Amino acid sequence: MDSGYVNARIRGMYSRLLDKKSLSNLILKPDISSLITALEETSYHEDLERALVGKSGLGGIEEALRLNLIRTIEKISEFLQGEKGERYILIFSSRWDIHNLKTILRGKRIKVPTMQIRENLVPAGEFDVSLLSELLKQPDVKSVIDLLATWEVPYALPLTQAFPDYTAHGDLFILENALDRFYYERALSLVGGKSVEEGKIREIIGTEIDLINIKSLLMMFRDHVDPEDALPMLLDGGKVFNQKKLKMLLNLGSIASLIEYLEETPYRFLSDLRSSEGDTVKISTYQHLLDEYLIRHAVRLYRGDPLSVTVVIGYLWAKYTEIMNLRIIARCKNALIPPEDMEAEMVYV
Amino acid sequence: MTGWEVPIGAAIAFAGGAIATGIAQSKIGAAGAGTVAERPESAGTVIVLEAIPETLVILGFVVAAMIIIMVE
Repeated sequence: MDSGYVNARIRGMYSRLLDKKSLSNLILKPDISSLITALEETSYHEDLERALVGKSGLGGIEEALRLNLIRTIEKISEFLQGEKGERYILIFSSRWDIHNLKTILRGKRIKVPTMQIRENLVPAGEFDVSLLSELLKQPDVKSVIDLLATWEVPYALPLTQAFPDYTAHGDLFILENALDRFYYERALSLVGGKSVEEGKIREIIGTEIDLINIKSLLMMFRDHVDPEDALPMLLDGGKVFNQKKLKMLLNLGSIASLIEYLEETPYRFLSDLRSSEGDTVKISTYQHLLDEYLIRHAVRLYRGDPLSVTVVIGYLWAKYTEIMNLRIIARCKNALIPPEDMEAEMVYV
Repeated sequence: MTGWEVPIGAAIAFAGGAIATGIAQSKIGAAGAGTVAERPESAGTVIVLEAIPETLVILGFVVAAMIIIMVE
């Protein structure tokens, strides 16, 4: 497919994203039903019509957002089919495979009804609805992994390797961590080339790994996790932090020292917050800032080379952010949270 | 001087314009198709943009005609 065609379609789709003013208007809606009425006048009307047949209120909005995300990723994959850019889109779409697998594993672990697990799945990656349905039919974690191995799904390998450890400790985090490691290793191997666009995508993945590690470190310091146990939980391949630096960060031992250390890295915005707010800053505030940094960084790709696939990746991040913002608005409306608190949770791109 | 050089010169002038128009229209056409797929209301603008490179081939035709008529 001609890059001009892809670029024009993506720009057309980007122009339909909701701007800050439209989101602010949605925040000011008095209740869920007026939020639905307002969303019916946006590009979500088709998905809302479908979703509201089976569900109402918050459930309907969440289902519509899920359907819209699936439709968007499918649409982009369709016009990039057979192109070089397709494998870069795979990096973004496979994160939904990881999300789906983690959801199924968690559901099976705590015996959640199949219907409830299904409602949280997003079949926007390599797993289609039929594969997900078969996985949902399995009675427990082991059967899910066995089925993945039988169908030679790549994710079966890390899960099978981590399974003995999981059985010994009974901690689902072991399986989730194995999946994350596999995802990021695979993603980095897909962009191992020397081209400019691969370099940019590699940088975003590296940044994402760093931010996940910083979030994990913040929680580990809060919960006083032993550095020996903590190291295997951190991901390798970050842009700034390699294994050696991660080991050093673990030995810092406290949130204050970690934030101080970050002053000399691109993540110095955390120390700026600490110097203005003091030691009372909550971990969730740091996490929100880290998420915001990643989103802003990734969406910037949209404004890069117009004939490169990075435009598509930038758009996908912007779309994902919009859906997250709409989900925050819908949930906060449902919980009667005031608009100013809602604003604080949102990320504008 | 009315040998083979005149029609060859005219042909080069016309062909150059035609090839350049073709290249430009293919790129504009692809991007235009993408734009119309997402925003059907912009079809009018896209058609006008698609026609703009035609000026190149018209210019080539005029130069070719001038070569044939004026060079003796």
